[in-house]
Amino acid sequence: MFDWQFCALLLSNGVLIGLMYSLIALGFVLVYKATDAFNFAQGEFVMLSGLLVAVGLGSYGAPLWLAVTVALVLMAAFGFGLERVVLRPMIGRPVIAVIMATIGLAAVLRGFGPLVWGAETKPLPLPIPDTPIVLGPLLIPPIQVVGAATSLLFLAGFGWFFLRSRIGVAMRAVADSQQVAMAMGINVERYFALAWAMTGVVSALGGVVWGNLLGVDVHLSLVGLKVFPVVILGGMDSVPGAVVGGLIVGIVENVAAGYLDPYVGGGTKDFAPYVLMILALMVRPYGLFGKEIIERV
Amino acid sequence: MNGRFVIVLGLVVAAAVLAFPPAAAASHEIVIGLQCDRTGATQVVGVNLCPGYHDYVGLVNSKGGLNGHKIRVIEIDHEYKVPQGVEAYERHKKEGAVLISLYGTPHTYALTQKLTEDRIPGTSPGFGRADAADGTRYPYIFPIAATYWSQATAAVKFAGDQLKSLRGKKIAYLFYDNPAGREPIPVLEELAKREEFQLRLFAVPPPGVEMGAQILDIAQRYHADFVIAHLFGRSPSVSIKELRRIGYPLRKVVSFVWGAAEADIEAAGGYGVAEGYNCLEFAGVGENYPVLNEIREMYKKEGKEPPKEMASTVYYNRGVLIAAIHVEAIRNALKAKPDGRITGEDVKNGFERIKGFTLGGLVPPLEITPTDHEGGGWVQVWQVRGGKLVRETDWFKAYPEVIQAELKQAAMKKS
Amino acid sequence: MIHRECGVLKTSYEADMALYPLPIARWAVGAIAAVMFAVLPLALGEYYLSLINLVSIAVVGALGLNLLVGYTGQISVGHGAFMSVGAYTAANLAVRLHAPFWIALPLGGLMAAVIGALVGIPSLRIKGLYLAIATLAGQFIIEWLINHVTWISGGVQASIEVPRPRLFGFEIASQRAMYFFLLVCVVLAIVAALNLLRSRIGRAFVAIRDHDIAAEIIGIDIFRYKLIAFAISSFYAGVTGVLYTYYLGVANYEQFQITVSIDYLAMIIIGGLGSVLGSIFGAIFVTLLPILIRYAMEAFGGLLFSPAALLNIIPNLRLIAFGVLIMVFLVVEPEGLNRLWRNIRNYFRVWPFAY
Repeated sequence: MFDWQFCALLLSNGVLIGLMYSLIALGFVLVYKATDAFNFAQGEFVMLSGLLVAVGLGSYGAPLWLAVTVALVLMAAFGFGLERVVLRPMIGRPVIAVIMATIGLAAVLRGFGPLVWGAETKPLPLPIPDTPIVLGPLLIPPIQVVGAATSLLFLAGFGWFFLRSRIGVAMRAVADSQQVAMAMGINVERYFALAWAMTGVVSALGGVVWGNLLGVDVHLSLVGLKVFPVVILGGMDSVPGAVVGGLIVGIVENVAAGYLDPYVGGGTKDFAPYVLMILALMVRPYGLFGKEIIERV
Repeated sequence: MNGRFVIVLGLVVAAAVLAFPPAAAASHEIVIGLQCDRTGATQVVGVNLCPGYHDYVGLVNSKGGLNGHKIRVIEIDHEYKVPQGVEAYERHKKEGAVLISLYGTPHTYALTQKLTEDRIPGTSPGFGRADAADGTRYPYIFPIAATYWSQATAAVKFAGDQLKSLRGKKIAYLFYDNPAGREPIPVLEELAKREEFQLRLFAVPPPGVEMGAQILDIAQRYHADFVIAHLFGRSPSVSIKELRRIGYPLRKVVSFVWGAAEADIEAAGGYGVAEGYNCLEFAGVGENYPVLNEIREMYKKEGKEPPKEMASTVYYNRGVLIAAIHVEAIRNALKAKPDGRITGEDVKNGFERIKGFTLGGLVPPLEITPTDHEGGGWVQVWQVRGGKLVRETDWFKAYPEVIQAELKQAAMKKS
Repeated sequence: MIHRECGVLKTSYEADMALYPLPIARWAVGAIAAVMFAVLPLALGEYYLSLINLVSIAVVGALGLNLLVGYTGQISVGHGAFMSVGAYTAANLAVRLHAPFWIALPLGGLMAAVIGALVGIPSLRIKGLYLAIATLAGQFIIEWLINHVTWISGGVQASIEVPRPRLFGFEIASQRAMYFFLLVCVVLAIVAALNLLRSRIGRAFVAIRDHDIAAEIIGIDIFRYKLIAFAISSFYAGVTGVLYTYYLGVANYEQFQITVSIDYLAMIIIGGLGSVLGSIFGAIFVTLLPILIRYAMEAFGGLLFSPAALLNIIPNLRLIAFGVLIMVFLVVEPEGLNRLWRNIRNYFRVWPFAY
């Protein structure tokens, strides 16, 4: 007798957690979409923002809205500064150089956080109740609903942004071809900086939600590893792709854990998305929604 | 050109610094090498545990040392990476360390052969390899605290006491999917056969930040009667939250020693959320121990505030425990060589004479012998009750015959 | 004057293609060899020899990775996993079949080469970033397999003890003995790499890196050579894993996780992509850097901070310094330490003249 309730629980958990993964993937996609740069340090961005908010709440006793606003501003400034100092000289370098630069950045952030604020885990309390919302057989934790809703809001917002607004269209032009964009009079550097600042903002919100779920310390940066299957499946430069990719990864993880684990002695949760990812890379490397790169000889 | 000049200059400075490292230890000083992780995956532990170690040694030194010999602790952080750990060991050896306090299961494995060849004892309390409890096979490795096998037997005993009987019950083993997490599985399976309970394994792959499916399975599909959890890093707090969310009573959960600290409870949302959670501990928890008061006195005499790490009593007290046992071993070694020129072998013999040393209840009644380097496998269970950790049981150990059988089996497999 | 290039005349193809055609180069290499083999092991203490041992093992790994990433242009983040493949293969052979190390070492490398070629299959269809992610997936999958398949890992503890290598009845256990053992392996690895790069295969690698479509047009089977590149690079990685295993006496995959793969990438980028000497420089730099920083902090840090605070600061500062140095190198000197060396060497080519 197939246990429908269990299956429904797994699926709902998968959907919600998948949307939370999308929140992180969004930051990654923004950067890649606008600047072709691969941000290996996305998890550390989330950790840094989480730290800023947690410290603001804890050590300074600031009210939530103030701590979050300050964190948003600081992260935007951080993204801006980062682009200026580190990534601008990287333009035109081989892709591996940019990857290594962000890896170096990730190391710096991982050392910087504990150095300044200590290595203990800091809680990030939000005025969101802990008790789950009961929807028939489903038990839904409110924090995940908040995370999922934020993801979807961003999806809608960025979707509109990139399609309709002037700045968004300019960013897409820059991503398409820098030289032509420059020829059209678009200040490429400014849009690069803007893209990184936006990533900072998205990471900040991701940091708030995930920080509440996990507690803020160095482990928070590990969620960044989840980004890769999500963006490969969805397409590295696609905002709806980040959301769909997240959903797929979340659902696959939970279904695998629920139904495959008993046969293999556990651990398929991590394994399954990566296998799926490799298959996707072989069949459709640009993901479901990604833009196909046509090589000109 | 400017930037390149800076790089070359930096390299020259670096070469100069490496050519003249700090001077070696002075004579009549006893050197201990402490490996720690303050920046890697387990930094939350190391940052609180290692200060506890230093403070106890500082206390001993402030009272004149051991028979007049001061103890010098050299701490090297290895970022939880093995090559760094190996280099740290070589540096400690160069500085004349007679005892190495290991940190990290992969490092214990990596350094076992070297420690044995160089005849320097290394301790791996509460982690490392469980079969190192066998002193005849691994003469220079000392777990000095409950290994994962002992923790497994103790957890099963505790579950049995809580459930009144184990026969026919369903036990879930929720574990971090790495070698350390998998180590207790053979022991648990053996106990399941012996006590006739059902055992199901639920693996949480690293980094363990999300385990909704496993918890759902435990609570809703398997309907476990008791959960034994062996998680590291951030996953214990996530497990507490998830179990609570699904409505599984936390008093039916017992966690191994590394998922059982204030940090985990606070990260899960506080003591209110974790009410009922049971934790295995190999060192006493809380602030009410005479040795901790002495450390606070020591700081006050120097006009300083006690360090904030003391508040994280689970990890800090473990650091104190490790230091205390080390000091006892050295004290025993000095009895044989009062002039202070002890070697690693003397300290090893010193370890094997430790008996009846409890430090006011902080340390279990260990008895380390040449064949039993674990000391008995004692644990205590502490429970989250009413906003703090409350001692639930006294020191106990369980099923020693099962562990002995496993050790014998491991010995036969290797040779 | 020192670096004299004129007056060196070659009359055969072999002479022209020789590894060290100039007398100055031959003298320099001979001197280095003499120092490494004869002077250092007698002059240095065990601690410093142990540092050199760690660096030697890293050099072999960095060489392998540079062959793949620097010379063939295929990004791979899975180097650590291939090391564990080599390590476990050799360990299993040593423990189950009692194979001596001179059989276990090449077989470990071969097994890693096979797995490496498998992981390299996606390189047919994807390039650059996507290939990097595919190799990342390969790393995690191999780790998972080793962790779960006890036939490979030798039990739930996933760690296999190996006996010390024996050569002519002489057990290699002390740092000094290990030093010679590792030095011989490193020299073999370097000479093999240099010769490979002079050969047809090496030229094919560089062609694929520079412009793979053009290479295909002129008749190079790029899929075959990409697989060969993955295989050879993984062979080096497997050998590195085996050397680690014999050095430590135990094979354990937790030593070869993603952080290790990233460390090796850092080595070749800082050292210089596409250069054998660069791999050596990078390996030395990245392996010794944390140690140097710790010494520097111990020497100078006492002036600024209390000892207790210092213990917390040193490790974090090390991490920050590591990241900052990587970024500085990438921004300031993208071709790495190798280019710095070349600049110095070019200066001496015409010394005492200016140009």
